Amino acid sequence: MNWLERTMTAAGRGAAWLLPAGRRDWVAAVWAEAHEVPPGLARLVWRAGGVWMLAREALMPRRLGRAAVFAVAAAFAAWAAWPQPGVGHAAESQFHVIATVLLLAGLPLLARRFFGSASPGRAGRSLRVLCCAAVLAFLPALAVVEAFANLTPAQPAYRYIFCIAQGWSNTQGCGGVPGRSTGGPPWAGEIVLMLLTIGYVGVILFLTSRRSQVTRSTLAIGAGMGLLFGVVMFAVAPLGLNKWATDPWLPGSTADPLVALAWILLFGGPAAAAVLAARRYRRPDGTKPPYTVRIGQGIAAGVLANGTAALFTAALGTGTVALMLKSAWLLHWLNHGQQLTAVVTYRYEIYAGTGAFAYVVMLIFFPVIGLIMSSVAAAIANPAPRQPGPRTDGDGGPPSPGRAPVP
Amino acid sequence: MASRSGFSAQTLSVLAALCDQPSQWQHGYALARQTGLKSGTLYPILIRLADRGLVEACWQDEPAPGLPRRHLYRLTATGLASATGALARAADRATEQAAARTATGKLRAGGRPRPATRGAAAGMTP
Repeated sequence: MNWLERTMTAAGRGAAWLLPAGRRDWVAAVWAEAHEVPPGLARLVWRAGGVWMLAREALMPRRLGRAAVFAVAAAFAAWAAWPQPGVGHAAESQFHVIATVLLLAGLPLLARRFFGSASPGRAGRSLRVLCCAAVLAFLPALAVVEAFANLTPAQPAYRYIFCIAQGWSNTQGCGGVPGRSTGGPPWAGEIVLMLLTIGYVGVILFLTSRRSQVTRSTLAIGAGMGLLFGVVMFAVAPLGLNKWATDPWLPGSTADPLVALAWILLFGGPAAAAVLAARRYRRPDGTKPPYTVRIGQGIAAGVLANGTAALFTAALGTGTVALMLKSAWLLHWLNHGQQLTAVVTYRYEIYAGTGAFAYVVMLIFFPVIGLIMSSVAAAIANPAPRQPGPRTDGDGGPPSPGRAPVP
Repeated sequence: MASRSGFSAQTLSVLAALCDQPSQWQHGYALARQTGLKSGTLYPILIRLADRGLVEACWQDEPAPGLPRRHLYRLTATGLASATGALARAADRATEQAAARTATGKLRAGGRPRPATRGAAAGMTP
């Protein structure tokens, strides 16, 4: 036995303790069997297979793997979003980062307890992962945008634009101390963001759980419609809902075909998803009338469609604004062919920064619109069956009893 | 790729090797030689089969002098029934695929078969 084999054997025996007790025998079996394999490369390959098996068995329990991936992603997002020294409202920002990570870690555990495990199939799991990724990506992007949008510029020319972009009518003495970030999201804003995070993550966890009984096709239809709408919405408003910010590369006018498509998808998308999901539903429940179950599937698809779209657009749009603020090349690419003076550049940046907060409005209202439209569409497409009963008018049937005489 | 029987091709090969002598205990290395699988593939398959109660495993009672005890495997009664069924289905499917390939080969060669009509199938053609 050469030193390499000895090392592998010792490492394997030591690493076997990483496995549950019932699995350690199998690792020992591979090492024991290695003595039967001809020495040399074949035996080395055999032992390497044992190491591979050990790694798979130790790391493959998917919960452990997912938890590790989540921990790394959350740590990175928190590190990137952690407020720099001197940033205004640092306590609120720190609360936002910590609370978001704790919510993402804790809500799935609560959902598992109350809603059951994730529904089988890739659609549900993919939705959960996408939702988590979007919320984590939103964290550092929002931190960058907030830090820029609240930084009072030192130069008077910039300061005037800053005050106008912030919506202050009186630009005299607005913005606090020049060169310092004095503004920032107040506690109320942070609480709204937290409630939104709880709402989005909670609804996605519920819809993708076994207890909700939302089918795979409903999830796929809702998510597909949502991603389509999200792509269109991002193309319409890549830098927030602000015409100064979106002007560089998109006209942003209401006559634009893309804008018209976005309006159609905002109201028609959830309705179409609801009708489609209700029609695709084939599994008889037995405990509830089929039409109510179909309506439920339709509403789930509609809410999911607009919710996914809002989350996708918000995460991607805020990320684009943050990237533009950090990387000059993106600003120049978006404004190619234009003369970008320092003041014009600042104007684009500050309008994009302040316009990014409009994504929060999307996050609030899109799912509500989805809920209303899908409820109406699903109810119209799946009317309650008429109860058979005696006819009270017409020619057939026994005569209806007359009104009882009043004593 | 998992077959319609729920077993992958590699798992089927392990089951086939264990089916050769269902009452005999077999060693991992012997199975690896029969199936051509590496240890990193073979043992996870054996673990899954044992988890599902299709394979039973035990340690050798009397090891060869100077060598560690070996782990032994054989099919359980349930495993034998499942393996037999799965292998039979896999064989049927292979036969169907071979027939389909032959038919496709004939079509490509230009020998277009006459479509069988409902009447012809019922023996009603004159």
